[in-house]
Amino acid sequence: MTTLHQGAAAHPRVDRSLAIFGWLVFAFLYLPILIVVVFSFSGSESVGRWGGFSLRWYEQMLGSEQLMNSLENSVVVALISTAVATVLGTAAALSLDRYRRWLGRGAFDGLLYLPIIIPDVAMAVMLLLWFTSTGVIPLGRGSITLAHIAFNISFVAIVVRARLAHMDPAMEDAAADLYADRWQTFRRVTLPLIMPGVLGGALLALTLSLDDVVITSFVQGPGSTTLPVYVFGLIRRTVTPVINAVSTLMIVVSMVLVLASLMFQTRAERKQRQ
Amino acid sequence: MTLLDEKRDSQEEAVSPKLERRARQKESWRGFFHAAPAYVYLTFFFVLPLLVIFVFSFGSRSNTGKPLLENWNLDSWTRLADPLVRTIAVRSLTMAIANTVLCLFIAYPLAYWIATRARPRTRTLLLVAVLIPFWSNFLVRTYAWRMLLDSDGYITQFGALTGLWGRMLFTQPAVFIGLVYGYLPFMVLPLYAALERMDWSLVEAGRDLYASGSKAFRKITLPLSKPGIIAGSILVFIPSLGAYVTPDILGGAKTNLLGNLIVTQFQAARNWPFGSALSGAILIVMLVTTLIYFRTGGRTI
Amino acid sequence: MTDATPAVILNGVTKRFGEDVVAVNDVDLEIQDGEFFSLLGPSGCGKTTTLRMIAGLEFPTEGSVSIFGEEMGLRPPNKRPVNTVFQSYALFPHMNVADNVGFGLRMQKVDDSKVRRRVGEAIDLVRLAGMEKRSSKELSGGEQQRVALARALVNRPKVLLLDEPLGALDLKLRQTMQLELKDIQHEIGITFVYVTHDQGEALTMSDRIAVMKDGQLAQVGSPEDVYESPENLFVAGFVGEMCLLPAVVADPGSVTLNGGEVIRARTSSPRGEPVILTIRPEKLHISPTASKAPPNRNALKGSILRRTFYGESMVYEVHIGMSDSIEVRVENVPGMRRWDVGDQVIIDFHPEAAMALTE
Repeated sequence: MTTLHQGAAAHPRVDRSLAIFGWLVFAFLYLPILIVVVFSFSGSESVGRWGGFSLRWYEQMLGSEQLMNSLENSVVVALISTAVATVLGTAAALSLDRYRRWLGRGAFDGLLYLPIIIPDVAMAVMLLLWFTSTGVIPLGRGSITLAHIAFNISFVAIVVRARLAHMDPAMEDAAADLYADRWQTFRRVTLPLIMPGVLGGALLALTLSLDDVVITSFVQGPGSTTLPVYVFGLIRRTVTPVINAVSTLMIVVSMVLVLASLMFQTRAERKQRQ
Repeated sequence: MTLLDEKRDSQEEAVSPKLERRARQKESWRGFFHAAPAYVYLTFFFVLPLLVIFVFSFGSRSNTGKPLLENWNLDSWTRLADPLVRTIAVRSLTMAIANTVLCLFIAYPLAYWIATRARPRTRTLLLVAVLIPFWSNFLVRTYAWRMLLDSDGYITQFGALTGLWGRMLFTQPAVFIGLVYGYLPFMVLPLYAALERMDWSLVEAGRDLYASGSKAFRKITLPLSKPGIIAGSILVFIPSLGAYVTPDILGGAKTNLLGNLIVTQFQAARNWPFGSALSGAILIVMLVTTLIYFRTGGRTI
Repeated sequence: MTDATPAVILNGVTKRFGEDVVAVNDVDLEIQDGEFFSLLGPSGCGKTTTLRMIAGLEFPTEGSVSIFGEEMGLRPPNKRPVNTVFQSYALFPHMNVADNVGFGLRMQKVDDSKVRRRVGEAIDLVRLAGMEKRSSKELSGGEQQRVALARALVNRPKVLLLDEPLGALDLKLRQTMQLELKDIQHEIGITFVYVTHDQGEALTMSDRIAVMKDGQLAQVGSPEDVYESPENLFVAGFVGEMCLLPAVVADPGSVTLNGGEVIRARTSSPRGEPVILTIRPEKLHISPTASKAPPNRNALKGSILRRTFYGESMVYEVHIGMSDSIEVRVENVPGMRRWDVGDQVIIDFHPEAAMALTE
């Protein structure tokens, strides 16, 4: 592994400048987040001034009924949309990786990428128009969940498909040769082997759902606001230190999710390498 | 997969081309059925809504702002040529291109530095360090700059003290900083992926064949990392062209971008047909950009 | 053995991929019960596809595959009385050795105590006792190969299919495993169908060999048949080393070489037909020009062009007039005479050793 990267070794002076630059970029990426976290513990009324350690903004956050209500909406929407998208996305990945020829395969392959690259605003507009013009589904928690599933399917499918591509197809041949029917082959061999991809995809879907502002703000209805949309509204009106506390909460949640997903993945990789 | 299927499977006669074709057809139907739920879902909650945008863009609106699917006309599309729209479009485009270029210049050395660390563990740790802000809430990260740039924030005070800059919040530079900060990780990841899987012995071969360090970089490393550069550029360019949250929080009224213009049509201005036409235009730009990407041989995002 | 039902019968089996790729072309084959049968050929000759069609992992486009008299049709692999050892072994990485070996029995709903006993037996058979709890990723190549073998054999298949099972192992291990496989087959007495591109492996292990070329059978026969009496030039060239000399049939039983020498050989072509004379290097004998060849042997004059040392033998390339040359392999035994480049020699060989084949 060490020799693998010898060719890349830059001149020591160049390498040192690269390192300094690298750490500066990391500082640029982390300082703003860090400052938000630090100031969430400040007692001062002003968001950018230190006013001694205090938990008052966390107390205020927990005491706000609207905030807690939007948090509940977020969690419900995220869990349901993740569960549905994970099942549909995994099946879609299987259909593309394991079956080479079927009706409309090429179109489906292209279609799966679209929700990923389309700008949020465009997707928000089209779903709003769709929900209001068809009028079948009222705007609310339901429409938000349906919208989140629409973009999450693609992310799950792509992560799972990458995992499937690394899997030796002889594994499934071997299972069939050893008397497993299609369902047993999937349950006992395919699924355990792609599990890290499925979990990774699900965590990505969960994060994206908890992150979304633009699409949700378009397709929400009365009382169905999610946490990020509620916070977005707060920021647009006035900036209060409560936002620092909510932001810290969201940062902690996403960090836990990233670390969990990385743990799954490295553990699976280590298992495979042994 | 059902019992009946299995029974039919095991009909015991010599295989003829017709029978084999039927077996293959059954297999391809299996593929179709696996995709079917997602296919149907995306048709109803993605493809049809996408088309509806174009339907509404040719519609009209009542006096109260209600969108009407009658009196079909091209007004919304011709309005795209308005000087006001053009100013905003040019500003968005400039901002998106500048953002893409700056992200590329910051991300490339960073990705290169990470990818050339000898120990795999170091590489993984540094990559995780990029991933954490990537996975953190976009809104929160934008808000962080709102706080930093606030009038009583330290950056503003430092600017005032040294006389280097004045109030930055609600200006174009603030939006620009926010965009770079928001989309930088999208550039680092594909670049890192391209550089990490590069065969570095090619660079060694180049050095062996008398290329200087910088020449080997320009002639070998750079062309080989092109897929990463293109993928990263698309991942930054498209969302920053439609950016809404960043300019809304950091830009204020004077630095409207296309994203804000569209949202306004659906909220305060209540002009859905025009908003639809704007969205349709952005979608077309996006489709053309990605088609070019796939035509140039890229596959991974 | 000849009276019993054949283990596997392929009847007019053809496999096409897409419109124009013909992987296997109208193959007829009978594999007897208890036989060690090899499918031998270069890569892309259709041998693996043939094996996969017996396993049910691929269905023929046309024709019939039957196992012990039972027509397989489109029966899926999990309903066929055969098991496979895959080229990559395909051990399940998320299971340990015992779970890998027991997989097939569990899928057949064999009860737990029985599974445990039979898994133990199978692991003993491949001499991996004590490794039951190892993860399949902690095993060496040879051990993985044994697990793959045990995993297939534990199901007591009527036919065991092996797809280049030794391809990933190094030379020493491969030789050990060849003997072991042969012993195991002898012990359990079931039919083995063995796919390989290594002609030496096929010769040493098989009862019978089918040599394949471009999806068709080039020859089917015992290792001796295939080696001593190749039916065509492809088999002659692919199995073992062979010297090829252009010639013309003079009479039944003799041919004329380019240089005009008349040689006695096995022929089946009519007089005047151009043929290729094939001779194995080890069946030639070199002697000094002064000596006299025995009267019942062919003799050719020549001069040494090149000498190559192989350890167990020495190979001389001998120029025999016109532009033809011939290789002679001399076993490295005490007292072996060494020739130098340029030496004039006489090469003699038995007429049975030379065989005339047409293109």
